[in-house]
Amino acid sequence: MPIVVIPPPYRGPTQGLERIEVAGRTVRDCIDAVNALYPGFGPQVLDANGQVHRFVKLFRNGDQLAGDVLATAIAAGDQLEVIAAIAGG
Amino acid sequence: MADGLADKMIRVDMTKQTATVESFPAKWRLLGGRALSARIMIEECDPKCEPLGAGNVLVMAPGVMAGTSAPTSGRISIGGKSPLTGGIKEANAGGNPGQDLQKLGYRVIVVTGKPADPNKRYGLEVDQTGVRVVAGDAYKGLWNYAACEKLYEKYPKTASFITIGPAGEMLLSGSSVACTDEKGRPARHAARGGLGAVMGSKGLKFVSVDSGKLSIRQPAVRKEFFAYAKDYTKAYQAGPQMFKTGTSSVVPIANMLNTFPYKNRTEGQSPDAKNLDGARIVESFATRGGGMHNCMTGCIVQCSNVVHDKDGNYKTSALEFETLTMLGANCGIGSWEDVADLDRLCDEVGLDTIEAGAAIAIYMDSGGMEFGDAAGAKGLLRQIAEGTELGRALGNGAVAIGKKRKHARVPVVKGQAIPAWDPRPLKATGVTYATSPMGADHTAGLIVNPGLPPDQFARASQESQLANAACDASGFCQFLQPTIEEIAKYYTMFIGEDVTREHVADMAWNCLADEWKFNEGAGFTAADDTLPACMIEEGVGPNHVMKFDVSAEIIAAAKHRFASREELFKLKATG
Repeated sequence: MPIVVIPPPYRGPTQGLERIEVAGRTVRDCIDAVNALYPGFGPQVLDANGQVHRFVKLFRNGDQLAGDVLATAIAAGDQLEVIAAIAGG
Repeated sequence: MADGLADKMIRVDMTKQTATVESFPAKWRLLGGRALSARIMIEECDPKCEPLGAGNVLVMAPGVMAGTSAPTSGRISIGGKSPLTGGIKEANAGGNPGQDLQKLGYRVIVVTGKPADPNKRYGLEVDQTGVRVVAGDAYKGLWNYAACEKLYEKYPKTASFITIGPAGEMLLSGSSVACTDEKGRPARHAARGGLGAVMGSKGLKFVSVDSGKLSIRQPAVRKEFFAYAKDYTKAYQAGPQMFKTGTSSVVPIANMLNTFPYKNRTEGQSPDAKNLDGARIVESFATRGGGMHNCMTGCIVQCSNVVHDKDGNYKTSALEFETLTMLGANCGIGSWEDVADLDRLCDEVGLDTIEAGAAIAIYMDSGGMEFGDAAGAKGLLRQIAEGTELGRALGNGAVAIGKKRKHARVPVVKGQAIPAWDPRPLKATGVTYATSPMGADHTAGLIVNPGLPPDQFARASQESQLANAACDASGFCQFLQPTIEEIAKYYTMFIGEDVTREHVADMAWNCLADEWKFNEGAGFTAADDTLPACMIEEGVGPNHVMKFDVSAEIIAAAKHRFASREELFKLKATG
């Protein structure tokens, strides 16, 4: 199954968990699956229109996703990493 | 010289108004920025000294890598005993003075003494012909932008400046030290802890640094150093570059996490978050001009925004997350344009926007003014510049205005206002605020991880403090997010000797140890390692359940060194 890597700022809903295995064939499937397990995670990644927040970046196996990010295919064993801005002077 | 043995330092005696050049001690050659400042304070300053007296020492120390071709590496630390906290203080800034000093071979400026006549102003000139203390009365009382404009009438365009505004000259504890950016604007501030007042107490209005057309400092292992810097830059630019629209872009996340203080921290979210979001600033670039730029030569982060007014004229730079929060949401002000005005006023007068925002919010909370009164807030900043009784109380920071107003909700640690990042949802960050020798300081060791279990708070705080101390000694910007391991590689190639990551971690620990020792000498005890009652008793978030409820044992544990683990060496500095 794909693994979703949760960034530190978003680990409140996941109760501190960093890596979560979920079933899913696309990026959106994976995010929805994590949200089903840990309500509150999804709105941190997706806005009210269901699109990725502009301050969130998604990486599959180390490569930043572009274009229709949420429709991107995810295979078993893939690592989907969520990156969020976390600093600010 | 790459090995540092031919490096120099400048000693300035403001009692006699003399400046001399000495060899930079070989024992300090791997110390720079914050770590060098801490060492000098321990060796040369009595911790019990009066912060605004002749006995205090003012240190201006560029990072070890400043002036080299390493990316985003030119930051300078300003250090001394803080009039705000009564303890040691280091505040650092971008801009070009740090690089220019290092290009001239100067690793540090150490200023001691004070003039007999407090009404006199002086400047320090540093260039290829030498160093001199010169008359500075012509700049007395000038706001920072006017002072720099006037300085550029006298000094070449290649010069950079370190200045104070009226707040520093009036010895106010919330005053900053300004550094000019690549465009020569005094927009980069070593803001925290009132070091502008220390500079003011020494009669020093400005330092001019002109390295002319001197080239960058050359590393000992040139080919490898340049190749590593090039690869490092490429890797950074291929990454997410989370700060390319400025630190203000984190407003929505902070608001979501209940760490966007509203109305003197009585709430963790602001209804105006959308208006204060950095996205609004970025949107303004299309019609007004402005944009993102690098605050110092050679920066690849380019997180600094240049903000224009409706007529397309320059207004301020940079309008940061901390400023939008503390002078915006925390004061109930909901327009980024009003905050831009307040930011410019703070830069002009020479004030820390965090301390000023906290002080104004306390004034509002105590009934002095309605929350959200942006025009009133601007008037308060002008009162600080004018030196009225109320202005001086505000300019002296959160504790001073709290006392004047007899108001209990004063969110400070060791006398310094808590920055935007809130210790209630971010409890490990609260451990940093409690234990950092700097008091509550977002650059000391920020941990934005609300899911962290309590048994990890102490280690997370300590590791973050070490990563940031290593970064602030190196001259790299925290927004570049270098790791201890990467800093060790840069040092190794620069000096041509093996500098291990363990050595860099040890130097970071020694920096903290020096600072804790200084504070102990100044009278601080473990009882001071705590957060104020309003953070412990008053919550934020849904039903106000998020409170700072971390035990004294966990807090104390953060000051006892943990065995180093792999994660420490790979932890990114975060400010």
